Formats: sequence, structure tokens, C-alpha cells
Amino acid sequence: MKRYDAIVIGGGHNGLVTAAYLARAKKSVLVLERRPRVGGAAVTEEIFPGFKFTMFSYVVSLLRPEIIRDLDLPRHGLHILPLESTVTPMENGDYLAAWGDHDETRRELYRHSPRDAEAYDEYGRLMHFMAQAVKPILGMVPPDPTSFAPGDLAGLLKLGKHFRALGGERLHALVKLMTMSSADFLDEWFETDVLKATKSASGIIGTFLGPRSPGTAYVLLHHYMGELDGVFRAWGFAKGGTGAVSEAIASAARSFGAEIRCDAGVSKVLVRNGRATGVVLENGDELSAGIVVSSLDPRRTFLQLLASNELPAEFVADIKRFKFRGSSGKVNLALDSLPSFSCMPGIGRQHRGAFSISPSLDYVERAYDDAKYGEFSRRPYMDIVFPSMIDPGMAPPGKHVMSIFVQYAPYNLNGGWTDAKREAFGDAVVNTVESFAPGFKSKILHRQVITPLDIERITGLSEGNIFAGELALHQLFFLRPAPGWAKFATPVRGFYQAGSGTHPGGGIMGASGRLAAMRILKDGGGA
Amino acid sequence: MSLRTTPFHPRTGPLSEGQAWRRWAGYVVASAYELSHDREYHAIRNSAALFDVSPLYKYLVTGRDAARLLDHVVTRNVGKAKVGQVLYTPWCDNEGKQIDDGTISVLGEQTFRMTSADPTLRWLHLNSSGLDVTIQDVSETTAAVSLQGPSSREILQLAAERDLSALKYFRLTSAKIRGIPVTISRTGYTGDLGFEVWVDASQAVPLWDALIETGTPYGITPAGMLALDVARIEAGLLLIEVDYFSSRHALIEAQKSSPLELGLGWTVATDKARYNGQAALDAERTRGPAWQFTGLTVDWDSLEQLYAEVGLPPRLPSQAWRTSVPIYDRSGNKQLGYATSGGWSPLLKRYMALAHLGSEHAPGTEVRMELTVEHRRKQAQAHVTPLPFFNPERKRA
Amino acid sequence: MKYDAIVIGAGANGLVTAHYLARAGKRVLVVEQHPSADPSADVGWIPAAVMRDLRLAGSGLRIDEPDPWITAPLPAGGTLELSRDIARSTEAIRRISPADAGKWPEFCRRMRSLAGVLERLYLVPPPDIESNDVRELTRIAGLGLYVRRLGKQTVIDLARILPMSIAELLDDWFESDVLKGLLGALGVWHLKQGPRSGGTAFNFLHHHAGSPIGVFRPARSNITQALSKLPGVEVRRGARAMVLARNGTATGVVLEKSGETIEAPLVASSAPPRATLQPLAIELYPDFARAVGNIKARGVVARGTLTLEPPPAYSTLCIAPSLDYLERAYDDAKYGKDSTAPYVEVQRTDGRVEVHVQFVPPGTHGGLAERVAQILNVRPNQVELQPAEESLYHGELTLDQILFMRPVPGWSRYRTPIEGLYLCGSGTHPGGGIPGAAGRNAAREIL
Repeated sequence: MKRYDAIVIGGGHNGLVTAAYLARAKKSVLVLERRPRVGGAAVTEEIFPGFKFTMFSYVVSLLRPEIIRDLDLPRHGLHILPLESTVTPMENGDYLAAWGDHDETRRELYRHSPRDAEAYDEYGRLMHFMAQAVKPILGMVPPDPTSFAPGDLAGLLKLGKHFRALGGERLHALVKLMTMSSADFLDEWFETDVLKATKSASGIIGTFLGPRSPGTAYVLLHHYMGELDGVFRAWGFAKGGTGAVSEAIASAARSFGAEIRCDAGVSKVLVRNGRATGVVLENGDELSAGIVVSSLDPRRTFLQLLASNELPAEFVADIKRFKFRGSSGKVNLALDSLPSFSCMPGIGRQHRGAFSISPSLDYVERAYDDAKYGEFSRRPYMDIVFPSMIDPGMAPPGKHVMSIFVQYAPYNLNGGWTDAKREAFGDAVVNTVESFAPGFKSKILHRQVITPLDIERITGLSEGNIFAGELALHQLFFLRPAPGWAKFATPVRGFYQAGSGTHPGGGIMGASGRLAAMRILKDGGGA
Repeated sequence: MSLRTTPFHPRTGPLSEGQAWRRWAGYVVASAYELSHDREYHAIRNSAALFDVSPLYKYLVTGRDAARLLDHVVTRNVGKAKVGQVLYTPWCDNEGKQIDDGTISVLGEQTFRMTSADPTLRWLHLNSSGLDVTIQDVSETTAAVSLQGPSSREILQLAAERDLSALKYFRLTSAKIRGIPVTISRTGYTGDLGFEVWVDASQAVPLWDALIETGTPYGITPAGMLALDVARIEAGLLLIEVDYFSSRHALIEAQKSSPLELGLGWTVATDKARYNGQAALDAERTRGPAWQFTGLTVDWDSLEQLYAEVGLPPRLPSQAWRTSVPIYDRSGNKQLGYATSGGWSPLLKRYMALAHLGSEHAPGTEVRMELTVEHRRKQAQAHVTPLPFFNPERKRA
Repeated sequence: MKYDAIVIGAGANGLVTAHYLARAGKRVLVVEQHPSADPSADVGWIPAAVMRDLRLAGSGLRIDEPDPWITAPLPAGGTLELSRDIARSTEAIRRISPADAGKWPEFCRRMRSLAGVLERLYLVPPPDIESNDVRELTRIAGLGLYVRRLGKQTVIDLARILPMSIAELLDDWFESDVLKGLLGALGVWHLKQGPRSGGTAFNFLHHHAGSPIGVFRPARSNITQALSKLPGVEVRRGARAMVLARNGTATGVVLEKSGETIEAPLVASSAPPRATLQPLAIELYPDFARAVGNIKARGVVARGTLTLEPPPAYSTLCIAPSLDYLERAYDDAKYGKDSTAPYVEVQRTDGRVEVHVQFVPPGTHGGLAERVAQILNVRPNQVELQPAEESLYHGELTLDQILFMRPVPGWSRYRTPIEGLYLCGSGTHPGGGIPGAAGRNAAREIL
């Protein structure tokens, strides 16, 4: 029987990134994916003939550029296209638009508030600096503040020096960003409600929080992160959908010699004398490896793949406490033609960007209120894009696909999700869009509604959380996924974690997978 | 009016949102139609970009000795080319130094269309004495658009109502688009799947309309020179007056380059009769060219480090640059050559440059490129990278 | 008459500052806008150092430490009463949830240990993390070392729990709605946040600071009254004072009604930072003025009295039957309305029965008293409420407004950009609910 240097459980983007880096370092690597295709939550599927849907995730925010370079992903077909604009229809029939061009955006803001138009630049400057301050943290292995190990102390000292070097103004802004609600933070800068609503809406994606919940301001930074990497735009869309990202990483991994096996679910990690030695597949086959890496979320990694007696009780308790709380759904539509929004009638460049259904802070907050008490939002926050406008290959010529990211749809719905509830949720989404774009419903050729339960069922992500664990302050950095175990190693020797449930987590960044691979290689990499 | 507009101007003029125009051979063409060239660039690699390339100089060379004339002028073997073929070729002076580069389309046994960046009529005449050949300057009467990108074939097929899958890389065919006679060549300046469509200037506007109409569901995007500039650097394609000087414009010997030094050795035929520069090129080939034209990749970490030292995030050029930048060895003391074009590739997420280096610096060699960071000269670490930076299979497929 | 220092406000913090200054030999005048001392009880932990330094022990100071410290009605009838004795509380909880009873002692121990960290931070000026001063760095390192010596668990708890919501914290431990409701109420105490908002776990610990293990309501006392009877400072009541400053230096105060000017080289204000500083905007630089304008101090509490004959048997009655109840009460406030079903707490101190009603945002308050009366099962005319326009803490105790961020980022050492003008009220570190702590820290900084 072949013994691999490393077996990677889960062929999502992080697992694939880990595998590609290990293979690049000449390790023999096997990736095991439960589903018939790689990608995990980043898959593109043709659900309706001729129409391709990015099933779950929808935009590629921050796929790390160094991964694109290191793995030569464009050669493997990766092309990330910028999303140009965001238009927010308002309830009074007006709109707020942010365009790719700075002057144009400023002029548009001026229409709503001359004061805000000026504040916008100052705000942008601060956020730019803040993103610069935070970026090195995302790229570092988090030091453990409870440890007295020299490496951790040195890491803490480095972190302390980094923060002090920021200087007062930026340090204070950082504290505010880490602790405030996005609504409160934006209140300090702007007066235009719809601007605050749209900006803060991006801070709640994937969380079970509202724009007035503390801890949401931090995500405002993400918009400025991309600028530092030469991306210039915060959000992008992958040609061919997010599935193409996974395919490109998989192709790169294969080119380095990694083996990828689909339809190969893992039921157990084999542990002998406190050390991982291989895996057992769902079909009973046993495979052995020097090390085993799980890119599944922490709950499945530790509570499902391992027996609890193989882990310290305190650690198991921490993992059990790790919060998922999926809160978002997705509605994918095949359209006969593009809808015209009454705030900006006709078809035009606005369709190449996003439509944000976030007309006011109260609107988004009320959407959250519904979810807080176990209901899906009657009038949800939505982020709408038309992938076929950016990549025409996503739909037959002249036809379109519409991707609607919807929040909130709580995993723990009162009474549980049923087919009827799913359709009712879909109706709420479609009817809300219709209210901003009359006539839209008649253009729908096909509708796919995805609830957090569906996400869990199909991708395995616990409670359908798209970030493999909530991105809340107390689940970040050295606490992700559990205190003392945020450095990709686990209490079981030779068993590593590499998914979004580890630092820094979130989105299709691939950073967790890359950092995990670095750590594994530093440890010797199983060979 | 001192500058001319191209035959497509009735359409391209109103498209320009920022009134950003650039001069090209006495014409104005769009730098970018939109306020930023981002989308136009991405269209080249994602769907299809439509460029107005009418300012190219175009000459129709006909007659019994047409091929002989061209073979005497250029370095490639025109005599061996078949009807329907397009040759990319440089041409040289008698010392084997490059004058210009362009294409020769073999339209018939005795009919050729030559394109060039600089006016070439006089040079052709100078070389044609005693030959049975007619040289016609058709620069103004022939308009051209370039349709580049993965969807370009699909769009052209629909527009021309015929299958173009048999049209291979650097081949041409005549066709009709909405009844307009055109020549379609599978050529371009982007290193991607792409075509150029040649049309009588009087039919330029209806051709433009037909292509836009057909292409809209496929994401066709009118694009300007800024986007093209990024793509041609990714493709490692030379630009005269930027990456090299025409030997006829050079003031000193050092400003001249040979095709062998410019990485165009493959275009210098060894199997044909005497042509301009042959002896010099043969000799150079034997002793090996002193220079090479190659790619450089600036290392991101080094760039980040240089800016971090002054407390800034890396500043990347938002447009391709065209200045001469010194390249040093890894110690930073000895100059090895100079870069002539460079920029950030949004697709590859790489800072790339095109450079003249001594031939001895093989791919992978670590070098230093001069960079101005906050008004101070610094050196960023870079690596010699073979050209092209980006070479998708679809280009030839 | 010439004074060395003028203190604005005769609340606990103002008086504490005044007396510390007086003890250092300064002639101090306290100016208070209200004509008479507020008879309502002071709520909060009185640091022992204040009592010791000002010799409050023999001055008529009474600290009420009721036992049981809370009474909460149970949905099925009867009440849950929690005592100062952990074993007794455990038994009381066992009647509604044996599982929760099992966890109660450990919960109390863990919370006590975290509150201990806060207590240590609160009795000194906040750490100045920007400082390059060796003494300050040593102090910060000392704090760090102290925390680490408390053990791994405390460090992890601090990092995990402080940014958490009180709902998440309590859901981790308990199942009983009533228990979670009465504990959760302390997490949103004087805050415009619901129990599901991040940072409310900190607010909970803040208000646990100073209390004995197992007691999750701050002590009640008459410290303001006791302080106002202490000799050594002059107090002028019934006049609202505004700070006077010229060329960046404080020169004294002017009394609003009379226009009388009183000069002094040092002014300490225990009034809200915004009220103190905004009229002086011309003397401030724009970024500082903007930071002052950005202080979040949204009023959410109506306090008042309840006329009950005879006085109730309980000492503290909490109407917050579940976390959801609190959250819904907050929901209304988010949209600018009084809670339809507010969180109500009734406190009996020395025969006075006071009531705390939350959430009551600024605006109109139609039917509020009636709703409170209905919840308490009394007649509307027995309830008298004063809704507060601004936070009674002069600045909400959210994570972005504590320590070196309080009252405004970078100006947490009680100083202001105006030479000679100090802040000493609950708008400064460590904030409200700890009468005298800010006043003492400020006085020590001034001296």
C-alpha cells in the first residue's frame, strides 16, 4: 500500500492550497474529497441547462495574491475580474451609487451630502492605513499569549512593537474598528443613512450580527485590504465562477504532483499512540500517511474525524463552544433578460456591479431582528450580482444568471427548515427584489434557493456557516479555533488543521491553507 | 485640423468618457474609453476587446517581383510563405540593425499587404529598383480593427456567418460581414486568441456597428491603448521607439539593436537569398548576440519591504510605463542593462518589466531594478523571467 | 475670594476630587447646578482607598449590602432569590434548574477572578500604551505579568469574554431564562445595547467589580450625601458653571445665570466631557473637538421613585424574565422608541424605593409610566420617572470607550488640551458605577 507524505482531507480551496504548497515542496500528497468534484463551497455547477451558477460563495474577495503567484494560477485558468460598482436602490425611488472612478463617486455622494463627500476621502485615507496595519497580522501565525515559550513571547513582543509603531491616531482607530458596531463607527464619519447602511451591510456578511452590533466595524476594512496587494478593487469575480478558482488550484496542485481523489469521503483519522497515521475512507479503505491535514471546519475536524478520547477534554469543550450559526442563504436565478431597477431604469453599466439591497440602517437592522428570533428576514439584506455580465460565459448569449446573497436566514429556523419554508424564503427574496425592480419576476426562468441547512448538507460546513466558523472577535487570531491551538497543529501529533476555521479564516482567501502548509513544512512535512 | 481621426471615429469619438486620446502616427486613438482602463484590459483576457488599429501604415505590394522585393527587405522567408499566411517580421539595415517590425499578409501569389509602425514607402522604393513591382500606400484607404480575447472567434464567426475554427494562428481569410467585404487575419498584439479585420475605410462604421451588435451578448468591449499596453507586455511583444530604436532614427551606434538581440532570432531566415543585413546577422548569430531582450519579475516581498521602510504600502503603477530603468546585478553595484517597459499585471498579480540585458544572464538570475520610492532611488529585487509572461493555449488552439 | 481650584459638579466624583485637592492644601470651591443634594442612592462599588483616604468610615456613610441581593419572579409563580451565600443561591437555583445550580459556584469563581483584573486596572490611571516612558512601560509590563500570573484560564477568559455578548457568555453556562435574564440585565445596564451585542460581557464584569463573589449587583450607598457633609471644601449650589479659558489656559468659571466670574488656575469638571468641552471648542483643535463630539453617551435609562406603602419585602426586584425579553426591549430603542416591555428594576434603600427602567431613548415617553406600573402591578400615579437624555455614565461603557479610549482616545489621563482644565467625572476612566474612582484617579493626576 502506498504511503503518502501527507493526506489532505477536504478538497475545498484551503485544502487544495495546502496540498499544492506541500506538493510544490516535493511531498507526496493525496487530497480526499467527499463530493464528486473539488471546491467545497467554491463550486460552479450547471444546474439549469446553459446557465452556470456559483452555488454558494459568490465573490472572490481576497484570494491572496502571493498564492496566485506562487502557484502560477493564471496559467491554470484563474482570472479574477473586478466588480466595478455598487448601486443601492432606496425606498424613496432614489439611489446611491459607488462607481469605480473616484471623482464620479464623490459627485454622486455630494448629491446626497456635500459634507459626506468630503469625509469620504478622509475616511478612505484612514481605512487605507488601517488595512496596512492589520495586514501583517493576517499573514502571521498567531502567538499564544498564555504560553511562556520563547517563540510566543517573541511573537507577542513583535506584535506589541507593531501596534506601538502605528502611533496614537491609528492605534485608536484600530481599537474602535475592533470593538464598535459598523453603524456607530460610520456615524462618526457620515450623515447619509443609505451610505452607512450599504457600507455596514458588507460588515455583517456571514455573521449573525446586525449593523448595530459591536464587532462589525472591523469588516469595513476588508474593502481597503485589496488595494495593498495591487488588486485595487475590493471584490472580484472569478471567470467561470468560484468553481474555477478551485479548479485552478487543483490543476496547480496536480501539476506539482499532488493526487486528488473525489468521491472519497473520510470517516476517521487513524491515530496510533497519540499520532495520526492515516485515514479510513467511508468505503472502509485505509490509507496511511506521514501526516494528516484536515481542511474541514473545526467541529467536523475534531468531533467527527477523531474519537473524543483522543483529545484533551478542555480542548473538546472549546471546540464545542466554537460558534457557527450560519445566517446566510443564496438564491440563484436563470434570467431570460436583465431586470431594470426603477431607481436607475434600463440596462447599463450598473448591471456590471453589485446591487445592494440595503436602503437604510433600519432596514438591515430589522432584517437582523427577524433572524434573532429564529425567522428568516421578511425583507432581507441582499447583495445581487449578475455574473453573466462580467463573464458572459456563465449563461447562453443574451441570457443571464443572477446571484443573490441573502441575509438573514438562520440555520436554526423556528420549527426547522422544510421544503415549504425554503420556497417561502425564496419568495421573500424574489418579492423584495420585485419591489425595487418591477417586472423582474416575469424574467425568471429557473430558481434555486439555498438555505444554511442546504449548505451544510451539500458542503458539510457546520450549520451552513460560509466562513467555517463565525468571524467574531472572540473567535479570531489566537482563539481560532481554540486557545492554544491556533497554530495549525492539533493535540494529536501529525494531525493538522488548514481550513477557514483556523486563523485568519474567512472568504476565499486561501490564507489559512497557505499558513498551514508553511507550518507543516517547518515541522518536517511528514516525510 | 492638425491631427487626423480614424474612419471609426464617428463611433469611437462619442464612446470616450474621459476624452483621453493618444497620438499614433498622426492620428488620435483612444487611450481608454472608460475613465479607467481596467475593464478594457480584463476584456482582452476574459471576453473580447475591440481596438481601432487603423493608424498602422499599410502598403499593398503587387507584381511579379513582389515577393522578391519583400524577401530582400525583411528577415523572414516570404518566398516560402503560402497564400493566406501572415508573417510577423522585422527588417534591418545593411549592418543587421533593426529598422522596424510589422506583418506581411500573403493575399495572393503576387499580392502582399505589409504593415509597419513607421512610414516605409520610401524604404520599399529604395529597395525595389529594377524589380517588377507596384507599391501602393493604402494606409488611409484601409481601416482595421483588432478583436482580441477568448470570445473573439465566437463573435467573428457569428458576424461573418462562417466557421473560423480552421483559421489557424497567423493565417488570413477573406469574408463578408453584413455584406461588407473584409479580410480577417488571426493576428494581434495581445498574445491572446484574436483577429484583425481589414476593411475599406468607407465601410468602417457599418463594420464597427456589426461587430458591436453581434458581440454585445459575448461581452465585446471597445478598448484603448492603455489596456493594450499592459497586454502586450504580458505577451512580451516589442514596441518600437519604446523597447528599441529604429536604426534609421538612432543617433549613435549603441542605440541600435539587432533582431537577434531583441529575441527575434526565430524570424531571421537562414534559408533564403541575400537580404538587407544578412551578412551581419549571420556573423552575429555565429558569435552569439551580446544582448538579450527578456522579461523581469519584480519580487513582491522586496517591493513591499522597500515601501514598508518608509511606512507605505507598495505603490504599483496603475498604467504600464515606458521609461528606461537601470538594471543592476544582485550586489547592486554593477549595471547589467536596462528595462524599457513595465507595469503591474492585474491578471498575474505580478510586477513585470521588459529589459535589455547582457546575454549571459539566464532565466532565474537575480538582479536589481531601480525604483523610486518616496523621491529616493532604491533597488528592488527581481528575477530574469523568460518571455512571454502569459501565453494561454487558446492563442494557438 | 481666590481659589486654588474649582470643581464643577457635587456628585460623588466631583466631591472626591475636591476633597483630595483640599487635603493637599488647596482652597477648593465646588459649584453644583442643583440647589440641593440628590437624595437618591449611589449605585456602585466604593473603592476602599477612597473610604480610607477621606476617612469616610465615621462620616455617616452607609453601604447597603442587601441579602438576598436580588429577587426575580418566576413564570410559574414564586420568586428566585439569590443570596450573598453561594451555597444558598445554589440551592435556590437548583429548584429551577439543577444543571445551572451545578455550574453556579464555578461561574461565580471565574467571574470574580476576571472582575479582580478590572479592579486592579480601575484604581490607577489607564495604561498609556503609546508612552515611551520607562516607568509607564514597566507599569504596563507589570500589569501584563500580573494577569499572566493569574493563570492560563484567566488570560484566555479575558480575551474571549471581554468582546463577547453577555448572551453568549450566559448561554455557555446556563439554561434557565430567569437566571440568564437577571444576570443579562447587568450586562446591558446603562448601555444602548441588547444582551446579544458584543461587549456586554465586559459591561457585566465592570459592574461586578467591587462586589463579593456571587453578587451581581453593585452596592448601594449614600456616598454623595456623606461626602457633602465632609468639611474642608466650599460648595455653592444652584448655579451652573461654565469653564472659562483663554489662549489655551483655563482661567476659572462663569456662573450661567448671574454671569459671575470666579477665577482659579485649576478647574476640574465632573460634568459630562461633552458638556464641559463643547462650549470651549474655539480653544480646542478640530480633531479633538471632533472626538469629543463623537463620544457615545446615549440616554437609555429612566430613573425614578416608586411610592409603595408599606415598603416592599424585597430589596431588589428584577423584571427581566429572559434574555429575549431584554433583547426585545432593546429592539424598540434601536428604532428610537421606548421599550414596549421594558426591563425594570426596583431597589429599596433606606426606605426609599427607586426604580430603574431601560430602554428609554430620548424622545417622547407616552404611556411609559403606565407600562411600568402595569409590570409592577401598581397604579400609574405610584410611579414617577425621569428619563435621561444622555447616558448617566457620561459616556457608554462600550469597549471603544474604556481605558485609554475614555473619554476620548489619547486623552485618558484626566487632562485636556486646555492647560489647567481637568476632567474628573464618570466620563473618564474607569467610568460610571464606581463612585469616587474617577475622582480619586483625577485628583492624583492633578497633584
